[in-house]
Amino acid sequence: MAAARLSVSRRAVIIGTSAVPVARYQTTPGKGDYQVVEHEMLARLVIDAMKDARADRTEVKSIVVAQPRPYTRQQYFSTFMASYLKLPCSGIVMEVLGNGMTAALAFDKALDEVMLGRTEVALALGINMETAVSAADHMMESMRKTGDVDFHTPSGFTPISWYALDMMRYMHEHKVSRADIASVAVKNRKHASLNPLAQFRKLVTLEEVIAQRPIVEPLGLYEVPPRGDGAACAVVASEEYAKTLGVPYVRVRARSFFHEGAHQINDVPNDMIALDAAATAAKAAYQDAKVVPGDIDVAELYAPCTIVEVMASEAAGFTSRGGGAYAASAGETSLGGRIPIATSGGLTSRGHPSYATPLYNVIELADQLRGRAGERQVENAELGLLMNELGNYNAAMVHILEACR
Amino acid sequence: MTMTIVPVAHARRYPPRVTEFTAPFWLNLTQGLFSTTRCRSCHRLSFPPKPICPHCWKDEIDWEVLPTLGSLYSWTRIHAGPAVFAGDLPYVVGIIDLEIGIRLGCSLVEQREPWLCDIKMELVTLSFADGPLLGARPVSAIATH
Repeated sequence: MAAARLSVSRRAVIIGTSAVPVARYQTTPGKGDYQVVEHEMLARLVIDAMKDARADRTEVKSIVVAQPRPYTRQQYFSTFMASYLKLPCSGIVMEVLGNGMTAALAFDKALDEVMLGRTEVALALGINMETAVSAADHMMESMRKTGDVDFHTPSGFTPISWYALDMMRYMHEHKVSRADIASVAVKNRKHASLNPLAQFRKLVTLEEVIAQRPIVEPLGLYEVPPRGDGAACAVVASEEYAKTLGVPYVRVRARSFFHEGAHQINDVPNDMIALDAAATAAKAAYQDAKVVPGDIDVAELYAPCTIVEVMASEAAGFTSRGGGAYAASAGETSLGGRIPIATSGGLTSRGHPSYATPLYNVIELADQLRGRAGERQVENAELGLLMNELGNYNAAMVHILEACR
Repeated sequence: MTMTIVPVAHARRYPPRVTEFTAPFWLNLTQGLFSTTRCRSCHRLSFPPKPICPHCWKDEIDWEVLPTLGSLYSWTRIHAGPAVFAGDLPYVVGIIDLEIGIRLGCSLVEQREPWLCDIKMELVTLSFADGPLLGARPVSAIATH
């Protein structure tokens, strides 16, 4: 089955972005003199991103918000933000939710609004606040997202345990060591050291990564995503409108999606570490964009753990099956390498405020393709690949982005 | 086809909901039997048991008690878990490929030997104070409970 892809003539582009550095922002009501609230943070970002875009606020007719975590006190967040910003809209005002893809869906739906001609400019917003809730309490909710809540959750599966299961299988099948895979964490920390939006910027060695306490074997603390809060905004527009602004923009050249019709564990045994959905979606996007993996200059993957970046880089066609870890340890996926992956620092070091994470990945590629990534700039970056894949939830969404300067 | 029943002293940390439809699965499991649904039309099994066939969308199914040998597709030991599982940390879970062609995930009964992918496994009934859950252990395991 082929992945669904772009088939309208009107093109959507990214014209503005803004985000707060990923960090711990969330406060506990009743503790301390002051609280941090989501709408104050996000409203500032909208104004910053619109300034970056030089766009006219009256052109914004659609707002798509990644649904915040259940810990966000303000509910019906999209109409609330439209009110907070005094933005009447004739396209859509809505929240979206879809596993780790949530903020990618906000981006994708904002693009749809533009491509359908409902608006010249659309806002994709995401905010994720969760760090005032302990990991053990947070997992009381997230465990209900693993497999079947009555047949799997009672055994104690957690979302991240699935990546550990993938890694055990990967090491077994491909005879690859934990250290080879862990080199991804070292590489990404180096990238993060150059990213002002990153949560962890101090360099780490492979020995330090391996020495961390186990979280889900064989993955230790530095091989899994830290918990973090974040907020991000992307302003997307029609290419016709973008051309009137005189700013560099990023064109969405191709878009694809695929779900295998299997949620985390498939009673019909499949190859769990092939990430078929990611491979299928990537192939469709390349065909649509009329490019091959070798044409891509920089890639941001939704890869919560080291092993996921390895599997996703294979599924995206950047390396051979079983070769993803070696490519990382050999420097092929580092800045200056053959195909730089996660120049932002990735989810392990840039940080993973889950329901906003894909927008941070959009922002990294937009910065790279607008030539303003500073010390981590990939030279002459023309094409970027954005892959939001959901591991064993067996879905993937791919956007191929193109510099227009 | 009867499974070993492994007693567990405490209650289940996060008990499953039993529906009128899934009740036979849990009743069978209590008695050391693994069962699921097979489609009367296309004859394919599905797990967890379903009142419809996900493969052909017919709605006539039969319950079937099945053999429980298989192999370990993958495993992990969880050191950071949800609050209700704090008393069990660390604990082991795995993915079992049954010889009858079904893949499922469940708790593994911890052993002294290192876990390895592809070792032979058998399903067991974990008999908690308040009811059963599915578990698995290596075929060679000597009952130490």
